[in-house]
Amino acid sequence: MSRTFKDRSFGILVKIIFVALLLIAWELIAKSGIMGKRSALIFPPLESIGAAFIRNFTVGYANRSMWVYIGNSMRFMLTGLGIGILLAFLFSGLCMISRIVYHIYQLMISVFDLLPGIALLPVVIVIFGVSPGVIIFLVVHAVLWPMSRNVLDGFQAVPLIYVEAGRNMGLSGLGLLFGVYLPAAVSYILSGLKVAWARAWRGLLSAEMIFGIASSPGLGLYINQMRTSLNTAEMYATLLVIILIGVIVQYGLLEPIEKHTAGKWGMKR
Amino acid sequence: MSDIVLSVTGLTKTYHDHSEQSLILKDLSLQVEEHEFVCLLGPSGCGKTTFLRCIAGFEGYEGSIKINGSERKGPKNDVMMVFQDFNQLFPWKTVEKNVQYPLKLSGIRNAGELKAHSDRALSEVRLNGYEHYYPHQLSGGMKQRVAIAKAFCLKPRMILMDEPFAALDAMTRRDLQKQILELYNKEHCTVLFVTHNIQEALILGTRTIVLQKEGRIVLDEPNLLKKPVTPADPDYGTVWKKLESAIYMEGDR
Repeated sequence: MSRTFKDRSFGILVKIIFVALLLIAWELIAKSGIMGKRSALIFPPLESIGAAFIRNFTVGYANRSMWVYIGNSMRFMLTGLGIGILLAFLFSGLCMISRIVYHIYQLMISVFDLLPGIALLPVVIVIFGVSPGVIIFLVVHAVLWPMSRNVLDGFQAVPLIYVEAGRNMGLSGLGLLFGVYLPAAVSYILSGLKVAWARAWRGLLSAEMIFGIASSPGLGLYINQMRTSLNTAEMYATLLVIILIGVIVQYGLLEPIEKHTAGKWGMKR
Repeated sequence: MSDIVLSVTGLTKTYHDHSEQSLILKDLSLQVEEHEFVCLLGPSGCGKTTFLRCIAGFEGYEGSIKINGSERKGPKNDVMMVFQDFNQLFPWKTVEKNVQYPLKLSGIRNAGELKAHSDRALSEVRLNGYEHYYPHQLSGGMKQRVAIAKAFCLKPRMILMDEPFAALDAMTRRDLQKQILELYNKEHCTVLFVTHNIQEALILGTRTIVLQKEGRIVLDEPNLLKKPVTPADPDYGTVWKKLESAIYMEGDR
């Protein structure tokens, strides 16, 4: 049995035991009533959360199943993520062509990356009105800056020998960008993608909670509705859905992409 | 008389670093004929690598560098460079794709043709069976062989080699010297080869040039030793000593 396989199995076992212990602790606290009157609200028993999880999908809220809320959130998310990533590549590419663009864009990244999307909400509502455009804008804002920072750092870190080998073959301009810079910066780009995804997911849910659109309700709005109706089991069950989506994207999408690029090419240990 | 492939006239290269400037090459002139294998020797810092980089089009310069009569303005694939660094292959491409990439960029699009070219080049450097390996799965010597196959495959006007075997063990270095000689004889190309190793210059070169500080040529003569060159050749010792004194003439021993 290889050492890597053993390490991996050990890691999985540790994680399973940890989660099982957490669940047992949760259930013990829930049953003990240690939190007094609010115990059922703060720590609803696991079976209630499980039942609420199923109810979210079968019954849902306001005649809409959880699938509708997930679908809306994912639609906003993917639209914003796509636009953000495209813009990040476009602006970072322009930075490699023009030093003036590079300096201006570096300044923009430093300024806007520090600005929380939620703080922009009032301004964005004034611009877009009450529409899905607001949420998409906030997702783009969450993705664009960290992604650009990573893409640019990745471009700067491309070893000179790859660039010279490319130029030696006759590559220049866009050819050099697509033929050398992008593949050589893949580790940085993937790490930017992970940060961008996490920020976008958080940004999306926060925006939906503060500013849910009734015509296209998402997961954030659902949680908020559950909170106002004091359906805490449903609230936790929705959190579970959010965590599950995060885990699926991380392990089902981003990690396989990394394994089949940087991992396969020996650019990541 | 053979055609002149490389013609360098009054080449001067200065590096500017903040307020300081250092003169690396001063008024260097030389010509290289077709199918010559020129070995460039000289102490560290004499400008050998800078000279190669100017010819490859990586550096700006004063003076004139002409390849086949046309002025060199920037990098172009009619002059291929083999670097000293093992990591000159693209890690995201397999061995086969690394060899095929410059061919593709030069206009060959047919998959069968590309495959035929890369198969032939890889078999020349005895790397059949490694087509689908990625560079990180190869040893340093194997990576250099791929780089050599890639350079020769394109059939450029000239191949520049900047100490490509410097970091290899003696056995691998000997193997590669043999392979490069075979390729050179088969492909009839012109090679400019930088090395610190006198023996390597004698084994490979048809002409030897020794540079000193600021790229001053202190020795430029044909290598008349009978090929394959061995230390048993009666003239080997004399030529070796001559080159050694030219390299260390400025007391850099």
